[in-house]
Amino acid sequence: MSENQNTSNCRISRNVLIKAPGLLPMLYTPREIAEDLDVPETTLRDWLNHGAPHSRDESNHIWIDGKQFSTWVESQRNAKKKPTHPLQAGESFCMRCNAIVKIQNSEIRPVKGHLSHLKGKCPICGGIVNRGIWNAGSAELPQG
Amino acid sequence: MLDRQNYLKVKLFLKYSRVVHGRSSLQISNDFEHLKALLLWAGSQPLRSAHAFNTSLSDFLFQNIEKRLDQAELQSILNTNQRFLLWVKAMFPVEFQNIRLSWIMKISAISEGKEVII
Repeated sequence: MSENQNTSNCRISRNVLIKAPGLLPMLYTPREIAEDLDVPETTLRDWLNHGAPHSRDESNHIWIDGKQFSTWVESQRNAKKKPTHPLQAGESFCMRCNAIVKIQNSEIRPVKGHLSHLKGKCPICGGIVNRGIWNAGSAELPQG
Repeated sequence: MLDRQNYLKVKLFLKYSRVVHGRSSLQISNDFEHLKALLLWAGSQPLRSAHAFNTSLSDFLFQNIEKRLDQAELQSILNTNQRFLLWVKAMFPVEFQNIRLSWIMKISAISEGKEVII
């Protein structure tokens, strides 16, 4: 029976991220898996409380499937990554507002080759925003 | 699922290597990586019947290990596994009585006609 008490993200060290894919498709005790990953057993038990997959037998002993655990570690790694938002045409990142904004009064200045410099104003704070664009005159130009 | 007894024997061998032979932690780590191939080869079957497995260990390494191995790496894996099997036969003579020494000595030989990336 699987037990997932708390599904919040855990802090997984780089060492564990590297070693976890090497876990074998078998049932480990917490001590064995802690030894294989080179982490303290208390840390591992903390991860189990935070949603790491495990099961208990009729004697209430904890068993951890190596492959399931490595999948969970990988999911924790991906959960730490912040969602990205690629800049669309006419958008730039305002350093003052610390946000993506639509550029106003934009003007394009060629830099070199296909690279151009797009300069405009932030609609929120009125500050100057800049963006490098690859091919001037294409979809990067804001409409209007 | 792999046989846990096989895994425990591998762990015991690694501990023995560290304590008795004084192998370094890096060597132990390498040995464990090599012995994982043996555990995967055995699967859910006990190692005491390894001589009766359908495929040989070297064939298994050629077929199932995704990472392409060069000859030296393959030989190193086979040598580690041979060392382990010799140890396990010495330590558990009754359980491993069906495994013959001659079979263990042949395990490190790469089968004829196998393509090896150099």
